[in-house]
Amino acid sequence: MNDNYLPEEHALSRRTILQRALAIGGLAVAAPLLAACGSSGDSSTPTSTPSTGTPVGSGPTGSGKVIIGGFEDGAMAPFKDKIVPLFKEKTGIDIELLLEPYDSFKAKALQDGQSKAGQFDVYIMDDPWVPEFAAAGYLADLGAAGITADPDFSAPFIELGYWPPQNGPRVKGFESATPALVALPTIGDLQTLTYRNDVFTNGAPKTWDDLVTTATAAQKAGKIKYGYVFRGVKGNPIVTSWYPIFLSFGGVFFDDKWNPTFNSAEGKASADFFVSNLKAIAPAGVAEFDSDQEGAAILGGEAAAIIQYSGNAIKSDDPAQSKEVGKLDFGVVPAKTKALAQIGIFIHGVSSNAPNKDNAMTFMRWFATLEAQVALAQAGDLPVLNAAFTDPTAVAAHRLLPVALDQIKSGAQARPRMPDWGKVEDIIGTELNKALVAGKGGGAALDAAAVQVKAALTDLKYY
Amino acid sequence: MTASTRNGVTRLRRQGEGLDRALPYLLLAPALLLVLAVVVYPLYDGFRTSTQFWRFGRALEDVGLDNYRQAWNDPQFRSSLWVTLRFVFFSVACETVLGLGLALLCARELRFIRWARTALIVPMVITPVVVGIVFRLLYASDTGLLSTVSQSLGGGQVQVLSDPSRAFVGLVALDVWEWTPLMFLILLAGIQSLPVEPFEAARVDGAGAWRTFLDHTLPMLRPVLIVAIVLRTIDAFTTFDQVYVLTHGGPGTSTELISIYGFDTFFKFQQFGYAAAMLLMVALVVMAVSFLAARLIRRQATA
Repeated sequence: MNDNYLPEEHALSRRTILQRALAIGGLAVAAPLLAACGSSGDSSTPTSTPSTGTPVGSGPTGSGKVIIGGFEDGAMAPFKDKIVPLFKEKTGIDIELLLEPYDSFKAKALQDGQSKAGQFDVYIMDDPWVPEFAAAGYLADLGAAGITADPDFSAPFIELGYWPPQNGPRVKGFESATPALVALPTIGDLQTLTYRNDVFTNGAPKTWDDLVTTATAAQKAGKIKYGYVFRGVKGNPIVTSWYPIFLSFGGVFFDDKWNPTFNSAEGKASADFFVSNLKAIAPAGVAEFDSDQEGAAILGGEAAAIIQYSGNAIKSDDPAQSKEVGKLDFGVVPAKTKALAQIGIFIHGVSSNAPNKDNAMTFMRWFATLEAQVALAQAGDLPVLNAAFTDPTAVAAHRLLPVALDQIKSGAQARPRMPDWGKVEDIIGTELNKALVAGKGGGAALDAAAVQVKAALTDLKYY
Repeated sequence: MTASTRNGVTRLRRQGEGLDRALPYLLLAPALLLVLAVVVYPLYDGFRTSTQFWRFGRALEDVGLDNYRQAWNDPQFRSSLWVTLRFVFFSVACETVLGLGLALLCARELRFIRWARTALIVPMVITPVVVGIVFRLLYASDTGLLSTVSQSLGGGQVQVLSDPSRAFVGLVALDVWEWTPLMFLILLAGIQSLPVEPFEAARVDGAGAWRTFLDHTLPMLRPVLIVAIVLRTIDAFTTFDQVYVLTHGGPGTSTELISIYGFDTFFKFQQFGYAAAMLLMVALVVMAVSFLAARLIRRQATA
């Protein structure tokens, strides 16, 4: 049979098959792409109307879920074990908690904010992240959803939830903006001293000189292997370890115009003390130490003292993690001129592109209640409401609470409230790490860092 | 045949001719679109980003080539580029020598050689992050294997990761351990594909093993050797995972490869424009190396 004699509408040649196959293939490829392009109008789109969420205290009347992203830390264990199920019980809303390593979560959360992907409803951040996230518009204005700051929030903690900051210098572009509440404190973390009570038999050392003198004597007497242990890895770890020493020596990072002042005489003295005096009583390889290694040294009974955050401090009483249960006590950090610690609270904000914004706002409200904060404190974390710090049931369950409160009263400062603290910290941390390896030159390291910080902030148009 | 049928047939033929002409392009289109989507567009977007000043997650202004000038004047960029070049040179050199030696050894049909060949490629198949963790456990000064062995022999702790020079050597050692097998595999395949006649002739002429290697094996293996070196060099420039886990660039900046500095600048510091400029400059270096190597291979082939 000749194809030419077939009626035109019935002719099914090789080319016709090819044409149709191409058309079908094209449709198959285009369909998901079109669907993806058109997905901006679906339920994942953030609502622009103010969200109110489920009323707190109304019982488990809510539904659905709230996706909370955070970074892995010892302090997140009580949150995960106690708060997540309690929130479900009280509101009927599930928490999907996604935890990742610190750097990894920060990168992912920033990417989420930048791409408006709506991967998270709530970000649990380290407090220096707030300026970075808020300046970029990744955090929703909680005030617009009717959330206000409870007056019982610990003052140094709630200040960190505002952008731009209510006090202190502001970066360009935000000089005249009205501060908005964009985040609420989650876990009231701050540094305290953990020490061996069989080495420091008169209680926590009051000054840095006391600490070095007693620890050195104990080392010489063979009572302990290392007098002090800290994190020496470049970047955030070493700066965090040096920070309370810097503050206690009277150091200040920037003036009101963001000019570096951390290489002042006080700052240099603190750096010299850190890289020489403290290194002398620390493990020889402390420049490579991070949280795992410093934790192993104190919990394994090798070190006499450490300054650390609560998530690690609470491990002291856990026989599964500590060989020295009963020998580790807590105290306020030692002083030079003052006894100041670094604040490093966990703080949570709602993503501007949260897919479950109503539930996220419900979580924000509920978690700020005294009931939730007491539950958090009983489980082993530091709360953020003053009343929870002194709640008798919480204090009975958590012996770090009164010490943390003493530290807040003694003095605790957050890191400078600038979006580029990460860059500044990286520069200072790299130079300090070099000096630590050498065991000298802390002051010179700060001079070198100041030049680099000034150049970096100039490039970022701070001046 | 009626007039309408004739017209229909003519139309079909014309359509068919058109389709024949378009067919090659239609068949190429999916691959072309893919290349445009995953290579050309990202490169274009990367270049566009590199000419912008980014703050607070958005591009604020076009700054032309300022980011490139800034990178060139940035001591940390220059330092990390220098560390990367040293790392690539030492790693690839060691891997080439060791890979070639192992390939020559395993090319012979000795006893247990199959078992040895299999064992030799194991490091290559382990995830780089895991390799980083394993070497961190090996090098840790407090509880690491090296320190434990040293102390059991009466020595002290071995400081690898807290000493700039040793940390760099330790990083090169990690890379050599992981990627020598790749060189070994490529070179072994190359050796096994060489003709046997020249070697038999050399043996008849009384040439020793070293002379045979220099006069026959090495010249004939050179094209394969260059391909292996180029592949490994390009790959070494992008080393990231192991360094991130092992040292994160420290102590100081002694192991800070450009990939680490670029990652931090992009993801941690959110300086998208500056990071794009830095990494495009590195891409140009890698492309130049590849181009030179490709020319070398062509010259070898035509010689």
